[in-house]
Amino acid sequence: MKTEPKKVMVIGGGIAGLTAAWELSRLNVDVELVEKTCFLGGHAIRLCCKATDECVQCGACSVEDMLKNVVNEPKINVRLATEIKKIDQNGRFSVTLDKSLSPADNIQDDIIKGYSKNNSPLHVILDKNSCSNAPKGAVEFDKIGFSGNVEADAIILASGFKPFDAEIKKTYGYTKFSNVITGLDLEQIIRKNSDVVRPSDGTKPQKIAFIQCVGSRDERLGNLWCSQVCCAYALKMAETIKYKNTDADITIFYMDIQNIGKNFSAFYEKCKSNLRFIRNIPVDVLPTEEDKLKVRYVDDDSLAIYETFDLLVLSVGITPGSDNDELSKFLGINLNQDGFFTSMDMLNKTSTSKNGVFIAGTAGGPKNIPASIAHAGQAAGEVIKYLGVKK
Amino acid sequence: MTNNINADMEKIAVNTDVLVIGGGFTGINTASEIADSGYKVVIIEEGANIGDQKTPGFLIGFNEKDRNRLQGIVDKVVADDQIKILTQTRLSGAKGVPGNFSISLSKNGDIIEQKFGAVVIATELSVKNLNEKYGLSLSKNVLAQSQFEELLNTNKNKLINKTVVFLAGLGQDGNPLVTERVMRSVFKLNEIDNCSTYVYTDNLKVAADGLEKLYKETRDKGTIYFKLKESPNTNSDGTNVSFHDPILKCEISVVPDIIVVEEALSADLLNETLADFLQIDLGPLGFLQKNNVHRFPVRSNREGIFVVGAARDLNNLPMSCTDIANTVLEVKILLEDGKKIVSKNKAVIDTGKCTFCLTCYRCCPHSAIFWDKDNKPVISPIACQGCGICASECPMDAIQIGEFNDTDIIKKIKSKIKPGNKEPCIIAFCCQNSALEAGLMADAFNLQLPAGLQIIKVPCAGKIDVDYIMNTFIEGADGVIVMACREGNCKSETGNIYANWRVNDVHRMLDEAGIEKERLCFVTLASNMGKEFSSIVIDMETKIKELGLSPLNK
Repeated sequence: MKTEPKKVMVIGGGIAGLTAAWELSRLNVDVELVEKTCFLGGHAIRLCCKATDECVQCGACSVEDMLKNVVNEPKINVRLATEIKKIDQNGRFSVTLDKSLSPADNIQDDIIKGYSKNNSPLHVILDKNSCSNAPKGAVEFDKIGFSGNVEADAIILASGFKPFDAEIKKTYGYTKFSNVITGLDLEQIIRKNSDVVRPSDGTKPQKIAFIQCVGSRDERLGNLWCSQVCCAYALKMAETIKYKNTDADITIFYMDIQNIGKNFSAFYEKCKSNLRFIRNIPVDVLPTEEDKLKVRYVDDDSLAIYETFDLLVLSVGITPGSDNDELSKFLGINLNQDGFFTSMDMLNKTSTSKNGVFIAGTAGGPKNIPASIAHAGQAAGEVIKYLGVKK
Repeated sequence: MTNNINADMEKIAVNTDVLVIGGGFTGINTASEIADSGYKVVIIEEGANIGDQKTPGFLIGFNEKDRNRLQGIVDKVVADDQIKILTQTRLSGAKGVPGNFSISLSKNGDIIEQKFGAVVIATELSVKNLNEKYGLSLSKNVLAQSQFEELLNTNKNKLINKTVVFLAGLGQDGNPLVTERVMRSVFKLNEIDNCSTYVYTDNLKVAADGLEKLYKETRDKGTIYFKLKESPNTNSDGTNVSFHDPILKCEISVVPDIIVVEEALSADLLNETLADFLQIDLGPLGFLQKNNVHRFPVRSNREGIFVVGAARDLNNLPMSCTDIANTVLEVKILLEDGKKIVSKNKAVIDTGKCTFCLTCYRCCPHSAIFWDKDNKPVISPIACQGCGICASECPMDAIQIGEFNDTDIIKKIKSKIKPGNKEPCIIAFCCQNSALEAGLMADAFNLQLPAGLQIIKVPCAGKIDVDYIMNTFIEGADGVIVMACREGNCKSETGNIYANWRVNDVHRMLDEAGIEKERLCFVTLASNMGKEFSSIVIDMETKIKELGLSPLNK
């Protein structure tokens, strides 16, 4: 017996939103996938592959996979550059959408290289007048985005996270010193160049330091959570750099190294053999005349010392999404004291206080890619149960 | 889920009963959810009861209401006539393919045979004492974490005025499950009059929701955490714990009334037997899943066999619930309403050519090949992932893979090579899961590519025959690149490994034929490596230009 297909709105086109949409479509549910930026894949689509001689399970390739699934699935209607304006509930949900005004977070160029059908880039031109060499098939920003009303039987909130703004930690000099970068910057540098290069002069750095817990586990900021991704991404990128350049001298400044993923202990043991670990979080960073960075920290003998590095990577963590306050009002569901949509139900970490609204991915708190995928699958499963879609 | 059957499709019947292995909370919950989706379920449990929680600390963080809900699920499962419960029962054999597994169960020595469409493994964690790692013997004042939890629950008043020392993360590389148990105990001790608490640890593993807060709360209430690189010194009766503090440059001693020693949580020993019977991969540390991102969260290397919660990793119950929901989705998608539309020509064996050598059976990473009543090999269209490893390994070329059949691929090779070209002709065999995507990306982002580059798509690098590569050279290609997924990232586990072996074989043949080996290379890359794709093919072009065109390029 076939019943009328149900429709679900998924808010957010990052890895969690893509996964939730795809899993729902596999069970014959129609999906409206709303994404405020011009491209799909969120933060995760910009990450680099961190394999050395073998895969280290960073999950970056799973995002590409999921993207391909979604853009080729007719049951999923993708609305890029679109924002939520209002959500009413009268039996079904009625969602008012509008063209997004800030579609290009973190993108400096006047052409956005996002990703769309068949994994090919979707070039969106923000300003036609300033863009001299528009690529073939480029879309003008004015032409995308949707205004209007969409009805849905359930909502999955997959609005993601905001990377910690490293500028808040002033003494690290992020944006002031060009060779102080964040983990996300490093992902993109490796992605673009196949290797690490210094932003200031494009040379290969020999001496690199990673500072962990930037913006996470920080009492002074009130960020009392572990971001659950930074140890893994820092160590994995450090190993990728080491694999390409065995002479690279890499130091990890840390509080506690966290296990993330299957068999992490074995990976950590390998890291201990070729990376230097210092259990101290440096505070001050100063530039040197040779375009290097002097880092002040306290060593094992509790002596304050300065050490010079070519490149400093700040392992920024996961903080609540910038739209969380607004979305919580639209949906009538509460944020936890940290600002995430964390579910209190131990047996269902996707549930909210509102029937028919479910959380997926980092909107509900820090998660890595595999955990976001699993959580989004769970959200899709709970929606199916809620809608009573039978086999 | 489509109803449009074309000529290449057929409708087949599948068994929709599901076997759940493990009667702990994860297994019970899985059974309940699957039964709610309309399938019949059999739960087997080795112990005498279901719903016994074998892993201590598993319900840490659960309140009374949650516990009652769990008991409610147990009661519901017992009462549900869609669910059959077999206690004191273990798996004793398994045959068949997804949609039609023949399972043997052994209950007190009696053998029960039953068919199932899918199997879910929900084994639990096993617990080991680690006191020996700290040079301690368990005694009245040296307790394992579980013993201490018991004491806290039953005789809290005994802990008034006591000094309690926790040793964790020094006898093993810790994990958030262990940390949470320690911190929950400490949290309760903070409420007891005049009870002092010390935690000795290495890396404090707080990578789970709420643990950093718990850490702060317990510190605020007076618990002292010492982060050391090695275990502190303890005297053998556990009456003194000390270490040298490098910052204060002195010995710090604590005289505890009780020492609580962490426990190791590890994979169920049953996993190994199950992996054996069900022909699924055993992953790191005895858990039932390879460390392969394409399996996450709940897939095994075999279609229709799912691994949830602690069966696949160090997972607590909330994490297991995430797995359960994912499993229910997978089961629904697999079994549907008992009728499935499948492709007829995904992989087809020509039994006329087949010499029954068993090569395909042995090399299939998905255990998709079985022997039918007439003792002929059959490939299950549900289990088969279409990777083509079997087709390329078959010494008789008796297996053909749908759109990637030998005739079509050889035709494609011929059509892509135009002899007499001045630009070096480079053929890249690209796995559709990785290199093909990377190539598309390189092209779309206008990265540099050789003028004479031609791409041939394969379902998996494991489908790149020695014959294909040789044919490519015979047709006059100047260079050949075999592009596979990174090691450990192949969706068919071993496709990239087979491809590498075959390239080594062809290198030997080229050597004998007097063709430079450098004209053929094997590389691995990921789908998002557009830039690397470009560098690899450009490097090949440069190399070919140095070598000159192939002697066979006429």
